[in-house]
Amino acid sequence: MTVVGRTWERLTIPGKILAVVIPLGAVLTAGLAILIAVIGGAVVQFLVDNLPLVRFVVAATIVLLMTVPSAFLIIYMEMKVIALMNLRYGPDRVGPFGSALSVVHGLKVLMKEDFTPTGADVPVFTLAPVVVYMSSVMSLLVLPFAPGLFGQDFNIGLLYFFAMGGLTVVGLLMAGWSSFNKYSLLGGLRSAAQVISYEIPLTLSVVGVILLAGTMSLNQIVLGQAGNLFDWYIWRQPLAFVVFFIAVTAEANRTPFDLTEADSEIVAGFATEYSGMRFGFFFFAEYVNVFIASGLTVAVFLGGWNAPFNWPWPVAVGLDPGSLGIGLLLLLTLGPPLAIVVLGLPFYLLNSRIRFWQALIIGFGLFNVIAVAAVLGLAFLSFDWVVGLLWFMGKTYVFVFTFVWMRGTLPRVRIDQLMGFAWKWLLPAALLNLFVTAFAILVLNR
Amino acid sequence: MAIPDALPFINLAWGDLLFLILSAVLVGSALLVVTLRDIIRCGLAMMVCFAALAGLYVLIGAPLVAAAQVLVYIGAISVLVLFAIMLTQTKAAPARLVFQTQALPAAIAAAILAFLIALTVGATNWNAVSAPIRTGTAILARVLFDQFVLPFEIVSVLLLAAVIGGIFLAKREQDGPA
Repeated sequence: MTVVGRTWERLTIPGKILAVVIPLGAVLTAGLAILIAVIGGAVVQFLVDNLPLVRFVVAATIVLLMTVPSAFLIIYMEMKVIALMNLRYGPDRVGPFGSALSVVHGLKVLMKEDFTPTGADVPVFTLAPVVVYMSSVMSLLVLPFAPGLFGQDFNIGLLYFFAMGGLTVVGLLMAGWSSFNKYSLLGGLRSAAQVISYEIPLTLSVVGVILLAGTMSLNQIVLGQAGNLFDWYIWRQPLAFVVFFIAVTAEANRTPFDLTEADSEIVAGFATEYSGMRFGFFFFAEYVNVFIASGLTVAVFLGGWNAPFNWPWPVAVGLDPGSLGIGLLLLLTLGPPLAIVVLGLPFYLLNSRIRFWQALIIGFGLFNVIAVAAVLGLAFLSFDWVVGLLWFMGKTYVFVFTFVWMRGTLPRVRIDQLMGFAWKWLLPAALLNLFVTAFAILVLNR
Repeated sequence: MAIPDALPFINLAWGDLLFLILSAVLVGSALLVVTLRDIIRCGLAMMVCFAALAGLYVLIGAPLVAAAQVLVYIGAISVLVLFAIMLTQTKAAPARLVFQTQALPAAIAAAILAFLIALTVGATNWNAVSAPIRTGTAILARVLFDQFVLPFEIVSVLLLAAVIGGIFLAKREQDGPA
């Protein structure tokens, strides 16, 4: 046995793992570095030359990826807020305040059996969740999050949005039919009737806004509301806002209009026969739709990423880290340890029970909080889109909360009330709004 | 180095490639609509057909028409067709299509349609077709409500008549004691 073999035998199991992983990592890092050095320039040049295409691919990927965390967040929010309203604790086991429960839910759904019932129309049954999820993600592509931060700025953005949103019902119908189950079929039929009825007032209610803005591009509509709180379209289109919000609730199949999956009447509607990740797609798509509905309401009626007031004191941070020269290096290497010691020292000196290393840990935590706050604050002051994104997300989550609130408060309507309400009240209201808006524009502008 | 304008080796422009793919999907799904045995699948194939047509509209520079195609034809008309089928048919119904019995009228209609298409193809000067222009919404609106306002209004009245007729047909059965 050679020296190498004997040394290998003496290593513990973690030692063996490290002895393999560390050299492997070193080799891979070196390979990556060489690869970047050799073809990095060409790759960057290629990406720059095809910027529109690259931008589209990146935007589509980001939009696809952001659906999962936002769905997790909204699911957790819904569980916690409804628990609060019901005087319960809600999830409190996994993670701090049960916040990791959504993640565990996702993993559970992934690991469950993907069951297809006997008699189901297998290809249609498999494709239905895909269609539903795809329509959600595709409509997210035109939502303007912040100045310059949107998937694609279409000339016909709003129309595209409704077209893609309307595809959801195709998926629900497919699911309802292919499940080979009376309850599922009823759910699918209900969703078709409901979505088609509410699509008309929904589309008509934003026509007033389109008349005012003179464009269908969501980005331009948001830009048209720049200024302060009173430049938002909600003040000029209050009736349209009410109609829109009710109709969008029905489109997203949320309570009180969640008749497609009314659990007390038709088990879970179209989703009755679904299990595993296929059900997960429906479940996620519902919460992504809540986000989309809130985001669209904000973008069309509440100024999108515009702040509700003009920032009274204009700030421009002229910070150039490069000007510090070698001082920057010193700051980066010596600053954090010094700050940790300085922040931890008071705890060590003031409380004799705290040992020095414990004080250091406290200092480390404090330093991290301060550093993150400083970086975020700097980003807030230096970049337009950070401010815009914060305002947009803040307003959007107010509406997400409203959806959750409605689910916790309102009872479900009956199907005949639902249909009658759409055709007898919402549609005339939307038409009235359209006529009044057109008349006002004619009178005031000519 | 930007991506070349045309496909390497066979010198096919990307637009043409997309057109070929979309047309293949269009024709294939249209064939599926008439050959599939399950009527719901026929309806779904029809939706794929409409979607491919919307893609073609985008390709020739008419995104507004494409969005309207998706919104109206897929989102409303096809869904209503499927809705009606699901409401009236069950899986216990005969698997064979029961309405494929009018071979002679169908053949006559197909012959007339083929003749019309051949007439149009023959009458078109294919070389004169210019490159596609992107049509803006404002231009389209101006043309529609200025130059073609009469046809537009006639179509509206026709649709209104259809709606009234539909309501009349649906209501007639309930004339007796309710």
